[in-house]
Amino acid sequence: MPRRIAIVEDDPAIRANTVDALKKHGYDVAAYAGRAEALAAFRMRLPDLAVIDIGLGDEFDGGFALCRELRALSAGLPIIFLTARDSDFDVVSGLRMGADDYLTKDISLPHLLARIAALFRRADVAREPQQAADVIERGPLRLDAHRFAATWGGQPVPLTLTEFWMVHTLAKFPGHVKQREQLMRDANLVVDDGTITSHIKRLRKKFIAVDPTFDHIETVYGMGYRWRAE
Amino acid sequence: MRPRLPFTFGLRAQLALVALTLLALPWAGYRYVTEMERFLLEGQEQAQIATARAVATALNGRPQLMRLQPAIDSELRAEAEAELQRLAAANGETPAPEASSASVAPTAPHEIARESTPREQVAEISAILAGLERTTARIWVVNRDYRVLALAGSLKGPEAAAPQGLWQKLLGWLIRRPTEDFDESVAADVLATGRDIAGALQGTPGARVRNTPDGRAVVVSAAYPIWNGDDVLGAVVVEETTNAILSVRSRALQRLLLVTLAAFAVAAAVLLAFATRLSNRIRRLRDEAESAIDATGRLTTRIATGSNARDEIGDLSRSFSAMLARLSQHHAYLESMASRLSHELRTPIAVVRSSLENLELQPLPGEARVYIERAEEGLARLNTILTRMSEATRLEQSLASQERERFDLSAVVAGCVEGYRGAYPGHAFELRLPAAAVGVDGAPDLAAQLLDKLAANAVDFSPPGAAISVSVEREGANEGRLARVSVQNQGPPLPEQMRGTLFESMVSVRKERGGAAPHLGLGLYIARLIAEFHGGSVRADNLPAGGGVIVSATFRLA
Repeated sequence: MPRRIAIVEDDPAIRANTVDALKKHGYDVAAYAGRAEALAAFRMRLPDLAVIDIGLGDEFDGGFALCRELRALSAGLPIIFLTARDSDFDVVSGLRMGADDYLTKDISLPHLLARIAALFRRADVAREPQQAADVIERGPLRLDAHRFAATWGGQPVPLTLTEFWMVHTLAKFPGHVKQREQLMRDANLVVDDGTITSHIKRLRKKFIAVDPTFDHIETVYGMGYRWRAE
Repeated sequence: MRPRLPFTFGLRAQLALVALTLLALPWAGYRYVTEMERFLLEGQEQAQIATARAVATALNGRPQLMRLQPAIDSELRAEAEAELQRLAAANGETPAPEASSASVAPTAPHEIARESTPREQVAEISAILAGLERTTARIWVVNRDYRVLALAGSLKGPEAAAPQGLWQKLLGWLIRRPTEDFDESVAADVLATGRDIAGALQGTPGARVRNTPDGRAVVVSAAYPIWNGDDVLGAVVVEETTNAILSVRSRALQRLLLVTLAAFAVAAAVLLAFATRLSNRIRRLRDEAESAIDATGRLTTRIATGSNARDEIGDLSRSFSAMLARLSQHHAYLESMASRLSHELRTPIAVVRSSLENLELQPLPGEARVYIERAEEGLARLNTILTRMSEATRLEQSLASQERERFDLSAVVAGCVEGYRGAYPGHAFELRLPAAAVGVDGAPDLAAQLLDKLAANAVDFSPPGAAISVSVEREGANEGRLARVSVQNQGPPLPEQMRGTLFESMVSVRKERGGAAPHLGLGLYIARLIAEFHGGSVRADNLPAGGGVIVSATFRLA
């Protein structure tokens, strides 16, 4: 049975293109132009994953409201923001609303598909029993690339896909400087340097929330970032 | 900056010139005084004619009094001349009327009625004259033979007190007072040539103004005929100097001079103060207007000088403010234009890209694939442009919530330069750092971003192979308040007119266009935002002798 993806996007051309691409990859797609319409459909039947735009028609922040309502309906449903808005404020707000990822419309369809697939995998694995997988351990850090889960000293660190891929790239070879371009490539991102900087900043905060003494992500000015070995 | 002309003819000088028109006031006053003098003189003439008529009326119809022997005449004349000399010797002292009448008229007036001796006759005339005598007037009676029968009074009045004090002396020197020191003796030719006397002896009363023989005073003489029936027996001549009028005139002139001088001084002081205030206000307004747009192109939106004044300068100040406000709105619009544009363009670009990507999933002929690739290439370039366009806005947003930390600027610069050596292998980077750490409060990431912009800029302009030197130094008065990071390239000098605008949004001095990496003129604008976040500024200078360009940013030291 194909997975069902809901797309809430007010621009008809983008909506149609995304629907076509997802359909070609074997997904069952339901597209909605507005918040009310989408919410009514979600109440009837929940999709397996939702891709939401923030600005919906006349509602400037309609996507945020929809995300909150959807999260209330289902705690585990993967939600992705796909929007033209790229300010830090919007990114932080979106992730705080309970979205699993925040993507700007710069992202290519293949990248979007990769993220959707990854999110499905993470959702699937969460339901499956524990099994030996693609795991990296660096001191207290444990990264499960199969489940996209990170723990620090046994405590889970809630990371978005983008953040997980960044940490994964850095921690794979501790001490090696990873340039911003490389981080972007590995995280399937097309953004400017400033966005990478704010991603790193958020990443550090998440680890510090778990362990206040955390300082393993080091900035090498003019070059990039590296994972500081113990 | 516009060239400023030196004030050769400022407002104050102009108003001072305008104040000179006040000098017309004393001239008008002088004209008025002259007119008054003429009027008074006429009045004096009329008064003298009236006096002469009164005397003549008293002597009318008494021919026996007028007929005198030559011998007596000469005796009388000698007596009159002696009297004149005595009066002259008294030098302005009022001759006592009693003395003159006592010596000239020893006999009683009641003797006039009967047939009398010539001496008695003369005494009678003198008695009549004595009754009319005035202190500064001289009255004589002349018979038809131009012989003086009687004379009373003196022309000389009391001499006015000599001017006291320097100020009065100066005034006296400027405006001459009439003098009582003049020769009042009657020259024979005065009698002979006096038109008024001749006229009176012809039966026509008249008056005449003449100078004293020594020219020191002016005398008005009026003559009136003495009638006997239809015959003219003689004439009464009344003489008086114009000194009374002249002294009134000179006092008036002195007062006029003092008053106008005082008024002129007050008016000039007021005008000068007014002009000073006015020109100060205008100068302050000018200074503020000039500094409203600073060297980095920042706008002040309000002109404070005179903005509450309810006059034209206040109006000017307010319209300057309004103009600046509109200009800064426009400025802000332009600055936000880039990000707005990039935001608006993002959706249609996403449409194009997702369409292309869907197209790629279709089975396509080989030829079509080439075009898709080209379209995607162009799209990627468009994306880069959009990303750069929104970079400044994103930075502005993130600066607002940026947390500050203490970091060593030298370490950041050293790391960055190390990175540039790898990133730009075609250029040699020289690095000069101070020995001690340079502690700065701020964001090291941003400092690195700033240096990235300066380095990218230097690399773009530097000739291939030429060294780019990066240095960090402390500067400022009290042991380095600022840290200056300078990046120096050996490229062509900056055009002079661009120096002020170089750090504004979307300003670029690059001539060539196109290429994979578009130049939007945002790099140095971003550098400026970051420097300002760190309490510093950015500037670009040409090195002397076209040796290159040095772009530097300052950071406030922690």
